[in-house]
Amino acid sequence: MDANITRLVISGLWLALAACGGGGGGGGNGGGGGGSNWTPGTFEPSESFAAQCAAPRSGTNPETGLPYADVQGTTLDENDFLRSWSDETYLWYDEITDRDPAGFNNPLVYFDELRTFDTTASGADKDKFHFTFDSEEWFQLSQSGVSAGYGAAWIILSQTVPRELVVAYTEPNSPATAPTANLARGARILGVDGVDLQTATSNADIDTLNDGLFPAGPGEVHTFVVEDLDSGGNTREISMTSVNVTAAPVQNVRTVASPMGLVGYLLFNDHIATAEEGLMDAVEQLAAAGIDELVLDIRYNGGGFLAIASELAYMIAGSAPTAGRTFEEIEFNEKHPVTDPVTGQPLTPMPFFSTTRNFSVPAGQPLPALNLSRVVVLTGPNTCSASEAIMNSLDGVDIEVIQIGGTTCGKPYGFYPTDNCGTTYFTIQFRGINEKGFGDYTDGFSPGIGPTAAVLPGCAVLDDFEHALGDPLEQRFQAALLYLENQSCPPAPATLDSGASKTRAPLSATDGIMPRTPWRENRILRRDTTQP
Amino acid sequence: MTLRGVPMLACIPLLAAACKVNPMHEDRPARIVNPTTESRAELERVVSDMLFGADVALADDALTTSSVLIVERRRSRSLESPPLSGRDLGQPERFQLVRTGEQCLLIHGSDQARYELLETECVAE
Repeated sequence: MDANITRLVISGLWLALAACGGGGGGGGNGGGGGGSNWTPGTFEPSESFAAQCAAPRSGTNPETGLPYADVQGTTLDENDFLRSWSDETYLWYDEITDRDPAGFNNPLVYFDELRTFDTTASGADKDKFHFTFDSEEWFQLSQSGVSAGYGAAWIILSQTVPRELVVAYTEPNSPATAPTANLARGARILGVDGVDLQTATSNADIDTLNDGLFPAGPGEVHTFVVEDLDSGGNTREISMTSVNVTAAPVQNVRTVASPMGLVGYLLFNDHIATAEEGLMDAVEQLAAAGIDELVLDIRYNGGGFLAIASELAYMIAGSAPTAGRTFEEIEFNEKHPVTDPVTGQPLTPMPFFSTTRNFSVPAGQPLPALNLSRVVVLTGPNTCSASEAIMNSLDGVDIEVIQIGGTTCGKPYGFYPTDNCGTTYFTIQFRGINEKGFGDYTDGFSPGIGPTAAVLPGCAVLDDFEHALGDPLEQRFQAALLYLENQSCPPAPATLDSGASKTRAPLSATDGIMPRTPWRENRILRRDTTQP
Repeated sequence: MTLRGVPMLACIPLLAAACKVNPMHEDRPARIVNPTTESRAELERVVSDMLFGADVALADDALTTSSVLIVERRRSRSLESPPLSGRDLGQPERFQLVRTGEQCLLIHGSDQARYELLETECVAE
């Protein structure tokens, strides 16, 4: 039997939750308890079933400061809540096949049915974002950007044996960048606590790898076998102690001279609250330098606060093309054309914010602006949601968006995570469209010629782990500079073996998967149960 | 992300001993100096209490370089769709440390509730 590094698929999370008793009974169909009054196509208000739980909680709800509203109910009550709530708020509610909630003895299994099973033009699931989370963990908070770890963002280049995991980037002032570890982008992790990462197969060994790569909290000491980028194939062993690392969401702000003038570069990794100040500082720096072009690196940015995306879009374009125009308009299903069904507030388009919004800078301060007519974005499959909104919003006001890299994740959607009986449910409730009414990028934005319907000018270029982010020799940045100069792309397909480390086996030609999570449930290494 | 929809009272019973407000002195933004294990634990406990007992992770150097502390949903990134909520319409929670006379007070931005940090040494910025 073999084992793989694998993405955390939603079904895996569900299994974990079910195993923890996060929902009702054990299996799929088989009766939700109590008699069903199910009438196909008829729905009672979800409020009439809310907080009626098979296993009511006691104590204080940290979301409200009030005692949990849970009362004794049944699994059927929980299923009834999900059925009505989905009918009320799911974006594609009319594509749900109405099934008898009494036929399911596990709300998690029933919830999985309460979505569309349509596919997109590419054949992918239309709804890729239907999942649940244990509410106690969803309620957890942290100082902005703080999580337990070492300050190294791992990325998986090969999920199958021989596995390959490298450092994508590091956080400043972290254990990863301390002299004793000195990790940098491209460093391979070959082993953890005595277990060979490339070949481990047993459950115990996989657990050891997970425990070392993703410490549960600060104060854990683990050892790693590392092969550095320019090591000539030599390895070294390091020890790191996990701490609560504070992430720097904006890094590597710099300028590069080019035939097209001065090109600014900034790496934007996360739409967390502290990014507001980081972006403002970065743009002030680049504006002061007088840049002519901007390369915005969002290849690892999975989104976050949407208003921060709006602020950045404004800072790129300036006031002339954005004043009075829509950054993003949110659309719910047809039952809610004018009012947000969750907040009760009128639906109004989000503008391009020209002042700070009190994320990490006091509200109302004017934002700096670069006043550019075009921007290059470096992207990949980890570019998601609010990051895609930056691209779509700028395209919507005729700022030329040039895309270099890989297809983005395709998430023009959002949701209000909703707790019921200890499980927080994520069902797509709204989509965002730009000034021109466009929001159809479920298959992601693709550079050049596709393969998705949402195509932007640019070049498909694989990630290059053999150069630092912001290095003009890094292949995506290099391609961006080339495109700015003469609107051409590097020869395809781009390769990753740049010759920077001839004595080391070249890194796999893949975009990789970035598992950035401090949460134990989001483990990345597991046995491949699909193999004999 | 607006984490809390219910206004807090200025003092809650659990924190009564730590909750003192002295209107005679002016608030001055402050930073923590000489943090200790006890002061870190106190800060984490007070922030958690101000947020209805939520589990809150803070950096060891919280409030040592700035008077402002920002708390948001702990980042969780599934590998299919990192992060879980990539289009967050809300706002984070903000706290400010001030020095008032000899007291180090933590003020919760959303409701201006004030709590004295008894184990903490701070200086005005």
